[in-house]
Amino acid sequence: MIEFKLPELGENIEQGDLVRLMVEPGAAVSAGQSVMELETDKAVVEVPSSVSGTVQEICVKEGDKIKVGQVIFTVDGAEAKGSGVPSQAAAPAPAPAPREKPAAPASKEVAAATSQAAASSAPSSTPGASEFKLPELGENISQGDLVRLMIAPGARVSEGQPIMELETDKAVVEVPSSVSGVVKELKVKEGEKIKVGQVIFTLEGGAAAAQPARPRSAPVEHVSGQHGARLAFQAAIRAEGKTEEQALPPDQPQQTVPSFSMPAQLGKVAGTEHRQPVPAAPHVRRLAREVGVDIYDVKGTGPGGRISEDAVKAHAKALLSAAATAAATPRAGHFAQPQLPDFAKWGKIERVSMRGVRRKTAEHLAEAWNTIPHVTQHDRADITELEQLRARFAPKAEEAGGKMTVTAIALKVCAAALKVFPQFNASIDIEKEEIVYKQYINIGVAADTDRGLLVPVIRDVEKKNIVELAVELSQLSKKAREKKLSPADMEGGTFTITNLGGIGGVGFTPIVNFPEVAILGLSRSRMEPEWLNGKFEPRLILPLSLSYDHRLIDGADAARFLRWISEAFEQPFLLSVQG
Amino acid sequence: MSETSNLNLAVVGGGPGGYAAAFLAADLGMSVTLIDPELNPGGVCLYRGCIPSKALLHVAKLLEEAHQAKDWGIEFSAPKIDLKRLRSFKENVVKKLTGGLGVLSKQRKVRYVQGRAAFENSNTLSVTKTDGAQESLTFDRIIIATGSRPAVVSTLKLDTPRMMDSTGALNLEDVPGTLLVVGGGYIGLELGSVYAALGTRVTVVEMLPGLLPGADRDLVLPLHKRLEKMFEAILLNTTVASVKDEGNGIRATLKAQDGNSQEKVFDRVLVSVGRKPNSEIPGLDKTRVQVGQRGFIQVNKQLQTDDPSIYAIGDVVGEPMLAHKASHEGRVAVEAIAGHKVAFEPNAIPAVVFTDPEVAWCGLTETQAQKENREVKVAKFPWAASGRAITLDRPEGMTKLLIDPQTERVLGVGIVGVGAGEMIAEGVLAIEMAALASDVALSIHPHPTLSETVMESAEVFYGTSTHIYRPKRG
Ligand SMILES: Cc1cc2nc3c(=O)[nH]c(=O)nc-3n(C[C@H](O)[C@H](O)[C@H](O)COP(=O)(O)OP(=O)(O)OC[C@H]3O[C@@H](n4cnc5c(N)ncnc54)[C@H](O)[C@@H]3O)c2cc1C
Repeated sequence: MIEFKLPELGENIEQGDLVRLMVEPGAAVSAGQSVMELETDKAVVEVPSSVSGTVQEICVKEGDKIKVGQVIFTVDGAEAKGSGVPSQAAAPAPAPAPREKPAAPASKEVAAATSQAAASSAPSSTPGASEFKLPELGENISQGDLVRLMIAPGARVSEGQPIMELETDKAVVEVPSSVSGVVKELKVKEGEKIKVGQVIFTLEGGAAAAQPARPRSAPVEHVSGQHGARLAFQAAIRAEGKTEEQALPPDQPQQTVPSFSMPAQLGKVAGTEHRQPVPAAPHVRRLAREVGVDIYDVKGTGPGGRISEDAVKAHAKALLSAAATAAATPRAGHFAQPQLPDFAKWGKIERVSMRGVRRKTAEHLAEAWNTIPHVTQHDRADITELEQLRARFAPKAEEAGGKMTVTAIALKVCAAALKVFPQFNASIDIEKEEIVYKQYINIGVAADTDRGLLVPVIRDVEKKNIVELAVELSQLSKKAREKKLSPADMEGGTFTITNLGGIGGVGFTPIVNFPEVAILGLSRSRMEPEWLNGKFEPRLILPLSLSYDHRLIDGADAARFLRWISEAFEQPFLLSVQG
Repeated sequence: MSETSNLNLAVVGGGPGGYAAAFLAADLGMSVTLIDPELNPGGVCLYRGCIPSKALLHVAKLLEEAHQAKDWGIEFSAPKIDLKRLRSFKENVVKKLTGGLGVLSKQRKVRYVQGRAAFENSNTLSVTKTDGAQESLTFDRIIIATGSRPAVVSTLKLDTPRMMDSTGALNLEDVPGTLLVVGGGYIGLELGSVYAALGTRVTVVEMLPGLLPGADRDLVLPLHKRLEKMFEAILLNTTVASVKDEGNGIRATLKAQDGNSQEKVFDRVLVSVGRKPNSEIPGLDKTRVQVGQRGFIQVNKQLQTDDPSIYAIGDVVGEPMLAHKASHEGRVAVEAIAGHKVAFEPNAIPAVVFTDPEVAWCGLTETQAQKENREVKVAKFPWAASGRAITLDRPEGMTKLLIDPQTERVLGVGIVGVGAGEMIAEGVLAIEMAALASDVALSIHPHPTLSETVMESAEVFYGTSTHIYRPKRG
């Protein structure tokens, strides 16, 4: 029995609504035959089957949301025919690589065949030479500043070896080479801005020269360019032990695919979306694009709802004035500020560019400050007993390679508190007028580095014990100091802890790390006289400052939350029970 | 357009997509290199597609009319066909037009490089020139316009000149006694008509149940009827199972869906089963360009590929594989490169089949409306009620409008009949301008012309057509 799963539909399309199913149990399907219509964000697409046989069970129904990879139906008896089958939809539907057993070794052949093909089609002018280009670094990162180069002409590099440090908006990252050989020429200099795809260095005599690495890429599905579909097809039929002719002559149109496809299927022309034609003349549609208006948002008042040039202009004006009103409210944020005086009038100054982390921090904090009505609640926790517990766990943590710090313990305490007070582990979606409660607890810990403030995130804190947290925290701090944090290390937080105790102070008002809704600040703990059992006793007191988003959290809840945390610090046996 | 205007642009492929892009880019001030293996720009369309086929179809039409003139009291003796002169007429048409394009590119200071391009990386092309020289050139942006080629069916491959694709058929080496046309799409029917008019007995085989798969059946019917008289046979639901070279002909086994199969010997065979995109450009895998399952290069609405410095247009990016779509895409791509906020988003792309009668349509079709469960009103005007059609003795035509019942907007136009290809342009304009049926009905059309049928079908929608009496029901 073979399963047909929803193949990849194109970039950034992960799911769609099942509009229409075109098969039923008992029906015969063949590879390439359209089996359903799926409405995605971008278009309605017809999805062709990649398998042949008799439909056994249908695992979805019309109206369902279906994810890429989800099983649609099962077939029996027949062989799975893979890619290379012409698909009716012109919408990008990369070949679903056959996932059944026999195809697995074939995938390797594809990869091998591809690199062979690449090698044989390489221009003869520069035999054996290759180059290394800046690979993709992550979502939305298209460039970075070259901070440090770690190689020189003549040096030997091998695949995976770090060759430079790049400062992006989000972090300083080390970039590993994806090629091996001897560096011939460096094409970049320190201090330069480097774009993804830009050539970094060339190799000489690197026989094993590889193509630029595409991080996160599986060998079959990302075969780019000419041979992709073809090779996957060949691999699939080879896996079945057939010749190409027997399987399906690739040039022969399928029964279901008319040899002359009708231009009228406009919705399926590459690059066009499947939206009904809008009643506006071409020059009106173009005007809308120029002024940045979605023509489908404009209300037409002409005959048959026809949209005139004036309607587009009026719509744009309305948008502008709405935006202006929004901007006039103090939300302006960012760098909008009154004009600066000429500081040099009063003495010597130096101007330094506000790059990378600093600029990002400035933008982010201004955004948070302008969006969130902040209130800070203060409290004190008696951690005299906790100190003993810390001493007890310290060797264990050290053994495991971490350091048992107050922050590590605070992580544990906060995770427990966030479970009890879920509104502190939430975000506000103003546009949808919804509160987003997160069912995971990822806590960011602000780290002070010489590049500025970075907030690495520890994931699933509630599932880890204190020793594990101590170890992970030590590792992340080290990474932060060594500028090795990746953007992924700093994403997905639900709450933040910032500890200035190492420096001093009796309290402060941290700024909530938007879109989170609360942040806990720790200051320096000190011995203070406490009135206990009728006399003053020296107790170790930790000052706590909780800033929160007053839109979501009421003052009383904040006070309760912080009290809960203080008490947890004060009754460490609870934690020790939890480990 | 500050810095974009001095961009350095390469266009790979000199077809109607490529040269339209190159010329506009030059007009916008870019420095442009156009690369194609032929002596001049033109591509498939001018060298071995639209243009030579239309030259031959013009001659075919004349032959048919001369034949029909008998009914009007004029009789010509059987035509004498001088193949050499016919070929040179066709070749001169091609030369005149491609030469003209050569001059136009010189005037625009487009650098025309005769050769084939391969990719070294996203910005560098290695060009093997026709004279053998090799050159490596770097550009800010590259437009891929490499077009398409005839699809090959592996079971129909024989190494003999009797076996032809559209290019071979256009060469017109002889007028064979018999010709088998495999595939009842527009290319097969157009070229089949040429050979039939010249005296060949033509058999058309189509594996689907109708000719011109995808077009509305009521538009195909009048053409089918006429072709049945012109052709020896039209075999639907039939495939060619195998072919064998027998020296003095090709033996073909024709297999019908009902299981019957027959064998026949033909002097020549034309395989016209579709076209394949030319996306196997050497070195393309050194870029980030992605190629989809059917071999089309993937692009967004700005015709930009997954590689930000590379754009692609024309047949190589998808259906419909038509010259005017390629040109329009070429212009949009160049404007996008120049930084204009544009997109390829036509509401109607016309399709024309240049047979006799011609079949043309644009916008929504009935087939598509049915498939999408879309409610539309169809207003048809049969040409038997058109004065002009009667004077031409060609009453078999029909004009129809697809109209949105709520807004009365014209969503689609379909025409079959002589001159349909010229008339469809009005339909495109009506759809693009979001015209209502009443706009079309109230625009005065010249009399007596076939264009009146467009106006009158709009009148049919309101039940007030002058030349059709159809009282309103209810
Ligand atoms: C018989 C026939 C009749 C047709 N009739 C019509 C019609 O009536 N109306 C209509 O609209 N369409 C018609 N077409 C289709 C039309 O020809 C195509 O849609 C149109 O030519 C596509 O244009 P293009 O610019 O995409 O590419 P093409 O015209 O295919 O041009 C591509 C060019 O790129 C060149 N090239 C390819 N690879 C490279 C490379 N690596 N380096 C450099 N150059 C390269 C090719 O040699 C070619 O010259 C017809 C086609 C055929 C075959």
